[in-house]
Amino acid sequence: MSNSTTENGVSSYSGTMIAVNAVIAVAVALGAVWVANGFNVFYERLDRVSPTADGGGIGTAFAQGNDIGWLVFMVEAIHAIDVLMGLFILVLVFVHWSAFRRLAGRMRQPGESRAMPDGGDTDTENGGDTQ
Amino acid sequence: MTNLDHGKFTRMTTVFHSLLAMDVFFLFFTGYAIMFNDELWWMLTLMGGSGSVAALHRVFGVGLLALITFWALMMVTTDTGRSNFSEVLPTPDDAKAFVQDIQFVLGNAEERHPNARQFAGGTADEIPLLSYVGKGVIFIFAVELALLTLSGLLIWSKTGLMQYFATQTAAIAFVVFHGLLGVVMLMGIMFHIFEHGFHPAFFPVETKAFIPRSMIPEHHDDDDEGTGIERLQLSSGWASASNLAGAATVIGIVSVLTASIYDTGYPVSLELLVGGGPTNLLLTVGVNIGMLVLFFGMVLSVYGNLVRIRWEQQMAQEEGAEAEAAD
Repeated sequence: MSNSTTENGVSSYSGTMIAVNAVIAVAVALGAVWVANGFNVFYERLDRVSPTADGGGIGTAFAQGNDIGWLVFMVEAIHAIDVLMGLFILVLVFVHWSAFRRLAGRMRQPGESRAMPDGGDTDTENGGDTQ
Repeated sequence: MTNLDHGKFTRMTTVFHSLLAMDVFFLFFTGYAIMFNDELWWMLTLMGGSGSVAALHRVFGVGLLALITFWALMMVTTDTGRSNFSEVLPTPDDAKAFVQDIQFVLGNAEERHPNARQFAGGTADEIPLLSYVGKGVIFIFAVELALLTLSGLLIWSKTGLMQYFATQTAAIAFVVFHGLLGVVMLMGIMFHIFEHGFHPAFFPVETKAFIPRSMIPEHHDDDDEGTGIERLQLSSGWASASNLAGAATVIGIVSVLTASIYDTGYPVSLELLVGGGPTNLLLTVGVNIGMLVLFFGMVLSVYGNLVRIRWEQQMAQEEGAEAEAAD
């Protein structure tokens, strides 16, 4: 489908074609840069901070004598805080994700008519996804 | 229409929120391009290498220092600011709201607790200014931003404040501490983007943080029971968009958390691995997805401001039409 017609009869672009062409356009742009760059996958030879002491990374010059207890503790503690907070934040994400799904189930679904159902005994009215 | 749902902040707060967001996004992009250089090498290169990125990070750092100082002053020196203190204090209801959110997800509760409800609708009278998540965001971000600014200033210049700690080793420990501290904020912001971009009633963004409350007319029907969410129509793109964003948020959080565990770098003598760990394709993809979530948050923030501008124009037009009719 290269184009579609909207409700008022005006020709317009279909969403699918916009998405497909956008993906192609990004691929062409990245591909062109890749070609211009010389056909190498370029990540390993770029300006990385050499990550080891042997490789001369940050701090290699003073890789001695760092036995300051409270600094070791501070870094270890913040690692632990990261992990604990990370797990808690993940719980919050999942709780909200699920709550949003349940709330969405109560809303009028896309394309549903504007009139409220009579009697109120449809599946969606009380949160159809509670089972 | 209530200003809890559509425009909750003052004009100052909406502008502050947008500026803070932009500044923090750029601090993330520059800071984590350095710390996660294994996974974000392209970002480091794109911004001109580690020297350039460190310089940019300092520029945005100055911005952050100015912003949080301004905010602290506003909260202390104005009546509106001081009156907010009581709104921010956690209450037992906030703990109940968290428990009830879990119950709601499990199907054991019919509604979210008023202290959790993002969409107030017809129940606006019961809803406090800040949800339990909102209060948590303010507390955690306040502590995080204060510690990040403090440790950031300490490592600003290795020959400046850092000389008081005497050793270069101590300096690197503070650099590592600074980076690891930001991880909590990084994960929190990803959740924040999901929470306020993908609520089904507000998708794709809650305007309450972008349209000042002074611009929202306040009237609601009291005869309705409940929030009235069942009268709203779900956006046709919501289901796939929220699943995609939820997955990206989870992958992003798990990946930056995993990457941060490997990125220790202190004590340096044992094994120097700033940006070390396994060169892992999966982790690389995951951390990059995390950055995508941040980028998406930045786009949503801009979009929220666009919505405010359109709303302003519409209000101006309607007022103009009313004035003409009166003539």
